[in-house]
Amino acid sequence: MNTRSMRLAGLTAAMSLLITACGAAESTPSGSASSPSGSAPPTGQAPAEKVTFRLTTWAGEGEAAELQELVLDKINASQDEFEIIHEAAPADYYTKLQTALAGGTGADFMWLSQEYVAGYASRGALLDLTEPLAGIDSAVANVDRYFPDVMQTALYQDRVYGLPWISQPIVLYYNPELFDAAGIAYPDATWDWDTFAETAEALTKDTDGDGTPDQYGFSANGWPPVHMFIWQAGGEVITPDLKSSPIDSPEAIAGAEFYKRLIFNAACCPTEDTIAEQGFSEMFKAGTVAMFMGGASDTFESADGEALDIRAAVVPMGPESRTTFAWTGSTVVNATVENPELAVKALVALTEGIQRWKIVSPNMDLATADVILASFPEKWQAQKSQQVDAILEATKDMRSFNVIPRQQEWDDLFWREFQDLLYHDQGTASDLAAAARANLEALLP
Amino acid sequence: MIQWYAETLLRYGVVAAAIVGVMLLTYRGLRAAGVRREAATGFTLILPWFLGFLIWNLFPLAASLYLSLTNYNILQTPEWVGLANYQKLIGEDQQFWASLRLTLAYAALTVPLGLALSLLAATLLNQGVRGVGVWRTVYYLPAVLPAFVTALLWRLMLLPTQSGLVNTATEPIWSLFGDKGPRWFLDPNTVLWGFVIMSFWGVFGANTVIMLAGLKNIPKDLYDAAEVDGAGLAAKFRHITIPQLTPTLFYLLIMGIIAGVQIFDQGLFVRVPRENFLNVYLYTQGFTFFNMGYASAIGWLMLVIILVMTLAVFRSSQAWVYYEGDVRR
Repeated sequence: MNTRSMRLAGLTAAMSLLITACGAAESTPSGSASSPSGSAPPTGQAPAEKVTFRLTTWAGEGEAAELQELVLDKINASQDEFEIIHEAAPADYYTKLQTALAGGTGADFMWLSQEYVAGYASRGALLDLTEPLAGIDSAVANVDRYFPDVMQTALYQDRVYGLPWISQPIVLYYNPELFDAAGIAYPDATWDWDTFAETAEALTKDTDGDGTPDQYGFSANGWPPVHMFIWQAGGEVITPDLKSSPIDSPEAIAGAEFYKRLIFNAACCPTEDTIAEQGFSEMFKAGTVAMFMGGASDTFESADGEALDIRAAVVPMGPESRTTFAWTGSTVVNATVENPELAVKALVALTEGIQRWKIVSPNMDLATADVILASFPEKWQAQKSQQVDAILEATKDMRSFNVIPRQQEWDDLFWREFQDLLYHDQGTASDLAAAARANLEALLP
Repeated sequence: MIQWYAETLLRYGVVAAAIVGVMLLTYRGLRAAGVRREAATGFTLILPWFLGFLIWNLFPLAASLYLSLTNYNILQTPEWVGLANYQKLIGEDQQFWASLRLTLAYAALTVPLGLALSLLAATLLNQGVRGVGVWRTVYYLPAVLPAFVTALLWRLMLLPTQSGLVNTATEPIWSLFGDKGPRWFLDPNTVLWGFVIMSFWGVFGANTVIMLAGLKNIPKDLYDAAEVDGAGLAAKFRHITIPQLTPTLFYLLIMGIIAGVQIFDQGLFVRVPRENFLNVYLYTQGFTFFNMGYASAIGWLMLVIILVMTLAVFRSSQAWVYYEGDVRR
């Protein structure tokens, strides 16, 4: 072989290496994975090695460690067909998720907040779980065992695209010390909107006489969502058939006006400036706000890390109902997963593990006081044992959003053209609702 | 984990070896085609950069232009919609115009103000100050802070209550008017000014260092000759410093316009009422609303805006930028 031929052979080899390096199959970073993501053993043979599924979540450092220890390690130890590895993306989660899916490197399982399931499903990114789940004999796989208003967030066009693992109803947390000091009875199920608003005003005090309150009865800044009060008044923001947004109905206006009565109103609640300065939930923890509406799994500790004496009641009764908002999260399966049958089996195992870890379980069989209390470390037992009855009571009235594929755009518009203007005195609820409705309905399917 | 790192390292090595191989092949090909040795070597050496430009710049640029003419939603195959995205943006999208107005107003305020303040600081630093190297470093330090850190810091400093350092420091002034001071990022009417103040933190320092380098390059004999002719400080500044500094000002003006229109991080990390900057709007459309085709159209309109403004400055430069050795026609 002459020099020229050797050079050509060398260059050909270099080009081959370049192509091979760029196109090499993706390996899993855990090092423990024994086969490509979601891939199956040859049909008809006993699985020689576990199939690896990738799960991506928004879990932060502490939450990810708990997920690994309390859920994944147990599943992986008990299963001989598959293992699940966790890839946390706590910052900018949805951007990373979309980018990975667009690039064909999305994980097999993904956490989605309730607002996203319909959007991803409508764009063909999720595996339809309806039939695969029906074939599994498990309470977790049985969608009829879920709270119906929570389960509907994982549906799209009546097909199942995810399994909810949490449904956190909002409850009314209160600081008994501030109630005792004012000689006011604690909140209970007899409270209605008027009782609540009047008590919030009675608990707002200017203790140092400088003309500015130092203690507030309640706090709102867009949270809790105004939707909850509209529902309590008998209204809707998006109807169950997803065909209209009747935010200008008398019921919806009543709910919005009640919320306006509270938010940033110094007679009962901190102003926007005060919240920006002192922090929203921080004011409640610091004892400068007497009542706070939060999710069922919220915990409250002092600046030195001690669990506070915070109790809970159901939210006040509205004109029509005591409906409370439940934040819901689901695990969904990538439409391109290579072994859908085994993936659904793994999803069920994963969901059951998470439902015993996160509260409140959207599965009615697991929404019990024992499961709720068992999900909290020892530090929170005293606090949560005083709240668990109210939390369980709230599950009877909880519901989630009616979600459309373009939910993010709808939410943005609802905030910009209605809520933000209403909270900043840029118009009345009825005028703003009438003006915003057409634009909101243009986004409906 | 170690295996994964080893595999990655191996791939780096393989890619590097392959690039060297392609370079050698290119060199041999060029020489065989009769290209002179020096030229062939030059072309071969810029090959890695050229490949990078093709793959990482030109292809995405062309792809985004194509996507701007589609309804691409990230998760599904794009469908051709022609100029519909552009028509909607220009004809219907009020939020686009609101964002554009805010962005242009920001650029129009921050660029000249930033240039003026940095010129002032650079002039002061050029007065034979001892330890000018230290001062340069001190002035440049803020520019190396990540933008989001700066944004979060200023968000706290511009709080409207007693925790906001800016309002607390200026309280005596506001109280003269019976006011508590601006609400900055909580009030749609003062959002712009909050961002303008925030911008000085980084731009001021970076511009000052570049401006100082420009000042140091002005020949001293020009000032000596002017003094002999009886010129005062103001005359020297106007007739020597400014003209001699125009190439630096020109560069900073162009870069300032581009950076001003492309502002993103500050807008993303400081939540403001109503409209935000154009780049934040683009990001929201693309990554929150799944409207990547529409976001691509916004990106291309931004490019056109920046291009028009840059070309206008370039055209005007013939009238006000002075290069030594230039002959005015």
